[in-house]
Amino acid sequence: MMNLSKMSFKLNIQKYLMLCVLLLVIIAFSLLTPKFFTYVNLRNVMLQVSLIVITGSAVTLLMISGHFDLSVGSVIAFAGIMHAYISKHIAPTTVSIIIAICLGGLIGFLNGLMVTKLKITPIIATLGTMYAARGLAFIVARADGGANITSGLPLNFENFGRKMIGPVPFPIILMIVVVIIFYYIQTKTNLGRYAYSIGANENTSYLSGVKVERWIILLYLLVGLFAAFCGTILVSRLGSGVPTIGVGFEFDVIIAVVLGGTLISGGEGSVLGMVIGALIVGFVANGLNLLDVQSFYQTVIKGCILLGSIILERGLKKKLV
Amino acid sequence: MEENIITINNIGKEYPGVQALKDVSFDIKRNTVHCIVGENGAGKSTLIKILAGAQQRSRGEIELNGIPYNPKNTRHAMNSGMSVLFQELNVIDQLTVEENLTLGMEKLRFGFIRKTEHQDRLQEILFSMDKTIKLNHKVSDLSVAQKQVIEITKAIATDSKVIIMDEPTAAITEGEIAKLFAVIKDLRKQDVTVIYISHRLNEIFEIGDYVTVMRDGCMIETRAITEFDGCTEKIDTGTGVVERTVNEETACKALIRMMLGEVVVTRYTPKEIDKTKVALSLKNISNHKLKNISFDLYKGETLGFYGLVGSGKSEIARAIYGVDDISNGEIMLNGKPINLKSPDKAISESISMVPEERRTEGLCTMLNIRENITLMNMSSVSSRGVINKSKERELSTDYISKLQIACRDGNQKTALLSGGNQQKVVLAKCLNSNPSIFLLDEPSRGVDVGAKEEIHNIIRELAKKGVSSIVFSSELPEVMNLCDRIILLYEGEIREVLVNGQNHDFENILHIVTGGSV
Repeated sequence: MMNLSKMSFKLNIQKYLMLCVLLLVIIAFSLLTPKFFTYVNLRNVMLQVSLIVITGSAVTLLMISGHFDLSVGSVIAFAGIMHAYISKHIAPTTVSIIIAICLGGLIGFLNGLMVTKLKITPIIATLGTMYAARGLAFIVARADGGANITSGLPLNFENFGRKMIGPVPFPIILMIVVVIIFYYIQTKTNLGRYAYSIGANENTSYLSGVKVERWIILLYLLVGLFAAFCGTILVSRLGSGVPTIGVGFEFDVIIAVVLGGTLISGGEGSVLGMVIGALIVGFVANGLNLLDVQSFYQTVIKGCILLGSIILERGLKKKLV
Repeated sequence: MEENIITINNIGKEYPGVQALKDVSFDIKRNTVHCIVGENGAGKSTLIKILAGAQQRSRGEIELNGIPYNPKNTRHAMNSGMSVLFQELNVIDQLTVEENLTLGMEKLRFGFIRKTEHQDRLQEILFSMDKTIKLNHKVSDLSVAQKQVIEITKAIATDSKVIIMDEPTAAITEGEIAKLFAVIKDLRKQDVTVIYISHRLNEIFEIGDYVTVMRDGCMIETRAITEFDGCTEKIDTGTGVVERTVNEETACKALIRMMLGEVVVTRYTPKEIDKTKVALSLKNISNHKLKNISFDLYKGETLGFYGLVGSGKSEIARAIYGVDDISNGEIMLNGKPINLKSPDKAISESISMVPEERRTEGLCTMLNIRENITLMNMSSVSSRGVINKSKERELSTDYISKLQIACRDGNQKTALLSGGNQQKVVLAKCLNSNPSIFLLDEPSRGVDVGAKEEIHNIIRELAKKGVSSIVFSSELPEVMNLCDRIILLYEGEIREVLVNGQNHDFENILHIVTGGSV
């Protein structure tokens, strides 16, 4: 009994620990380089982070339910290239965005079907769609006639990703809206509650009448939709359809979610925690860039952060059991 | 050499809220077959787990071979000479017999596995028990009984002095049982002591030398088998062969009396059941476990199913609740045939189930009390998918006070509660789905006496409101205290239907559920 109450105390500590780490990171980089704490730099970091957070919001809910999606990076590329292709050849920009997002949702839906109906483990199922979606992105780019889709895009193509609302870039506003929506889903809706209960104990949830398969498919669908949403934002910002975007993005998202206190095994986690995790990931990457640390060192550091946080999680969980 | 291979002294074991073992002391004599019997929850399995090193005792001492024995884990226990033949066999199907036997003790030379004299010894031991098993056989091709032989061989080869067998005959055929018994009888010559656990009492008189009876976590008596009435042994002075004759009827009854003790049935009051209102009716239900189950459940009735572990109680509950498939037969709800494919369909027909395993089926232990209580019926606290938090808090506080769940508040994680309070949360969850048919699978297993009584009172209150309940239990006092009718189950079949409130011979009931004739 004693250990258990100590345990919940420790979990709370972990929450604030990450907030402290974030502040430390910001202070450290501010001292190390004068280029860090400037409007332009912070805006750039937030633009990077906004994509991680928008996808991460849906992924957090999915991971709370004990599931996993590796395909988000490829879905970004696929949806982005589809948006570029459709807006160039077929439909106006707004319609094209909607179609691209729906296509991303379709990939998420397929992931959900494979995991629930065919009982394929999430890692394998989403690894499959990760490769397939990436391949499709290249095929569509080639169908347009080149490696990228750069010329012939409509004039308003870049509006979506580059628009400013006062001093704040539009994607950051979108990020805030998405976080609010998912925070609401997580804390106030049946979907949020079922995500927790399925992650905590799928069997109990099933025996309690929760339509487990249906909710899991919905969660994968949401992840696909919001990853595709990020894809349309990113190509719009870049001003061209590039099939190589989002490589390794899935790991940035997963690191952010896990740093935010979501258990890989499910049943626990929060959207707000993920936001802090994403900020840590974003600031560390940016700070190291400013300090001219070469990118392969950065990859090593990211890997260490992910492993470190999982080892921490294991250690905490062992004490709980 | 000590006469006793194991001496158990004042062993105690507590789980949160439950005392599983209370001051258990007895000796096990070297080279005997020592049986342990008792009802479910008597403490047998806890005792075995402690001996096997899978759990640590709270109190007391054990000596093995005259030396203090404190195994930290199962590996440690095995190295001290204590092997366990669990119901879940510990062999690897994909490997051959030989590979299974030598697993973890291969002799290597330059990283390659080397053949040794050790293998000849293994072969010798194996062949002394079963000549049909070849070393190069794939284990997946063998029967359950043959796999048991392989495990026993391994135990002997690693110089185990004690082998604990946990219901070894539960999953094997009659012919194989005879073979296994021959092996067990032979083990004595190999200087091996067997601790034998079984629900089948006739087996105990066939192969046991001593029997320890447990009840409610206490050791009731340890007795030599030959001291039972109806059990005599003759030693042929010429050959030295011991011939045992057993009058099963008399001997089993005496043993059952020790297991049951005084069955106190004071809480049951007979009530009028309107036999014209059939709430639920099963007709010839069969599946992988059940054989032609047919019965009617009347409105407001509390029906009991009594049988041992493996008799098919949970399977009946799961078949009604839409979890397990039915291969044959029909289920009628209020006179209409229903075909439920999943629990959510059952719940929408206002059928609710308290599952057998509280922690893995009943609760989400990572979630708090409030979140568990509303899980089965979210629409009671939400509209259009949005939860009304204050309504949810109110509803859970209501159940907490009504069912007297001892906790800080509804925000407490259910992992932190005692067994009884956890079970009350599961009950609250099911009650919140407003069942008219309530299935309760082992509703008070692992729950202390006070909470057990409270849970029983909840079930009685429901009956007064016209809810029909089925209680599936392996505790006779529970069904006798609660149920209007009691159905006796054995191996997936209905053996007898009793009306409660009349004088019943408890020994006869136990005789029936252990496989005796009706």
